Amino acid sequence: MALLDVKNVTKQFGGLKALSDVSMTVEAGEIFGLMGANGAGKTTLFSVIAGHVPPTAGEVHFDGRRITGASPSRICRAGLCRTFQIVRPFGGLTVAENVRVAALYGAGGRQDRAAVARAVDDALEAVGLADRREILASGLTLSGQKRLEIARALATGARLVMLDEVMAGLNPTEIAAMLETLADLRNRRGLTFVIVEHVIGALMTLSDRILVLDHGERIAFGTPDEIGRDAKVAEVYFG
Amino acid sequence: MDTLLSGQLLFAALVSGSLYALVALGLNLVYGTLRLLNIAHGDLVMIGAYTAFGAFSLFHLPPVISVFLAAAVCAGLGWAVYEGLFRRLLANPTLAKRVEANSLILFYGISVILQNVVAMTFTASSRGYQYLDTVITWGGVSMTGNRLLTLIVASAVCFGTLLFLRHTLFGWSLRAVIERREAAQVVGVNLNRVQLITICAGFAAAGVAGTLVSMTEQITPFMGFPFTIVAFVVIIVGGLGNIGAGVLAGFCLGLVETYGIALTSPGYRSILIYGLFVAVLLIRPEGVFSKAVRS
Amino acid sequence: MKGLILGLVCVAGAAAVPMLGNPYYTGVIFQLAMWIALAQSWSMLSATTGYLSLGHAVFYGIGAYVCVLLTGSVPFAVTLIAGALAAGIFAAAIGLPVLRVRGPYFVILTYGLSELVRHVVMRIESALGSFGRMIFIVPPIEVLMWCMLGLATLACLGAWAIRHSTFGAGLSAIREDEVAAETVGVPVTRLKLLAFVASAIIPGAVGGLALLRTSYFEPGQAFDPVISFTIVTMALVGGTETVRGPILGAVALTLLSELLWSNLPQLYMVVLGSTLIGFILFVPRGVSGLVDQIAGRR
Repeated sequence: MALLDVKNVTKQFGGLKALSDVSMTVEAGEIFGLMGANGAGKTTLFSVIAGHVPPTAGEVHFDGRRITGASPSRICRAGLCRTFQIVRPFGGLTVAENVRVAALYGAGGRQDRAAVARAVDDALEAVGLADRREILASGLTLSGQKRLEIARALATGARLVMLDEVMAGLNPTEIAAMLETLADLRNRRGLTFVIVEHVIGALMTLSDRILVLDHGERIAFGTPDEIGRDAKVAEVYFG
Repeated sequence: MDTLLSGQLLFAALVSGSLYALVALGLNLVYGTLRLLNIAHGDLVMIGAYTAFGAFSLFHLPPVISVFLAAAVCAGLGWAVYEGLFRRLLANPTLAKRVEANSLILFYGISVILQNVVAMTFTASSRGYQYLDTVITWGGVSMTGNRLLTLIVASAVCFGTLLFLRHTLFGWSLRAVIERREAAQVVGVNLNRVQLITICAGFAAAGVAGTLVSMTEQITPFMGFPFTIVAFVVIIVGGLGNIGAGVLAGFCLGLVETYGIALTSPGYRSILIYGLFVAVLLIRPEGVFSKAVRS
Repeated sequence: MKGLILGLVCVAGAAAVPMLGNPYYTGVIFQLAMWIALAQSWSMLSATTGYLSLGHAVFYGIGAYVCVLLTGSVPFAVTLIAGALAAGIFAAAIGLPVLRVRGPYFVILTYGLSELVRHVVMRIESALGSFGRMIFIVPPIEVLMWCMLGLATLACLGAWAIRHSTFGAGLSAIREDEVAAETVGVPVTRLKLLAFVASAIIPGAVGGLALLRTSYFEPGQAFDPVISFTIVTMALVGGTETVRGPILGAVALTLLSELLWSNLPQLYMVVLGSTLIGFILFVPRGVSGLVDQIAGRR
């Protein structure tokens, strides 16, 4: 059974259809890519899945349970967590405190101090922020704050993490490091990722399967190779 | 039922409506340009009222003259507040982060200071003077001259301001700042100057309103807060930063209040006003907020 | 730990003050403990979540009102508990809609709500033909002072416990970014409501005790907005980042008030307003932050 099952989701903002009848299934342990131009509906889809906005029609199931209409915090505790394209660190808290909140309240619901400390250490280690743990989150570079977003999502103990453009604004070296981090997390921890990315090269390298959206509609789906050869995609991207 | 349909009641409603529109106009101008809620706005009405009272009782200056004095005093306060406090607040990054909530507390501090300075100067007991209080009957409606004057002056200032905003260069730049702050700066509007002038003008409007109030009501150092609340209701209903709709909403509130009290009893006035205030904030928090964020 | 011991020594010292035999000092301790309890309760919501309440007088007033209504028919301890419960229930009832309103709108909304309740109670009282209610049999001042001291201690311990708990971690995440907090699993709405109720309960009991001290109830006084203002000023002057902040602020301003209030109340208010403005602009971390700076921490 699929870990995440999105069924015929439509989202309408006033007269504007941001998503129309989008379906997708994500299997446990895969990296699932979402592609599309600006305004294609990727972030809206994230928001619908994570519970930030209710869909106009359609359903979302996670791990066999219906999560449509549940609050983001409840969805997170069920094991699905997202990051934000425009980073939202808890600026006045330290890096470690940021991650600690996620460890305390996330899917693990850990109350045991040692387990929380371990989850915080693990998450910081995984994204390479262990040496910055005592500085205020607002003092991190953009790249650092993007890593912090991921560390928080990991610390929640989520099994599925949705990453919204974690590579935008990073330089090539940082992108390479991030790619390595993500592949490593999937291989060693068996995490599942849904990623939205503008950096197409990164998306192609990383993803097992890719869904392409255009103007809120699904226009292509397949392995990176198939997407690379798809005529419709070429038309949208290269005109 | 007869009293409800009388011109008398309508006149009363228009008088208080025009005053509310004027008080709210000042608050709205300051909010529109600075994006800060001035909780001390009603206290400026009070300052205006005491200026007129002082001028009348000490120098026998009639309100038609002291109104300019009151406007000047309040504008001066606006200048002091802007230059002395807000440039400092906005310049400090840790404060600017939560500048809205901080500025509200700051304004509350100003409010407390103004009230008690006036109470120390004039004592806390209520004051009043008599000016144009002869009754005129016109079209079957009896009115005192000072109320008629209130209606005329308050309406004239409100509509004059609206015309000014629509037909002058400064009015245009001010509206640009209200609607598109950053863009206005890009096209060469001097933000600092517009903000300073607007805060002075907004405070002055409150001073004018205070002078008008002092002609017809007993004044006390603590009379200001209800005016602040009324002004908040008006500009939230009319749309924050939307000057024209605010004036209209001011008149509407005057009608609602006057007829509401006529149907119940004057004892319910505060409950009605505060109830409206709470209801407006509770029902439209997103409306209030999203407007503020969007602009 | 050092702070806790110091605090307990202070409480023990204060509790022994009636042995001096001067009721004036007992009264001062009563005032001190009252403001500490109020400022500390306020900090449970406002310092942790950043939702600044300018309407805490409403909880104090409700406590006082419930207490005056019950006095005579039940023992005085029960009236206090009832006052605390009523304040807590009121907070729970209005919490959900009120806490959806944010930033400066929350500040003025709490103020407006407090004023609304004040006018409603005044209306009820005048409809009942009552212009203030007297209480004739009240416990001795020492007993009232000890109760207030207990409430202050409870408030400080409560504030400390909240700040060092999972609950407190969630609240500071809410203060920093509500959406992000919700996303990493913090049940934002429930936590805010709990904090709101927690910060209302002790002020309810404080209102009851203060009423017994003055043995006179008048709604205009019991719901006086100056109470809300004083609470906010004390907490901000003391500093909102630590548990000792509200204590320091309450002590400093209560002593100032003892000096000025009885003779020059208006001057006291002017000084209060100026102090608040000065601290917001120049000492945003409050006295507590100053102490840290001088001690060379951070």
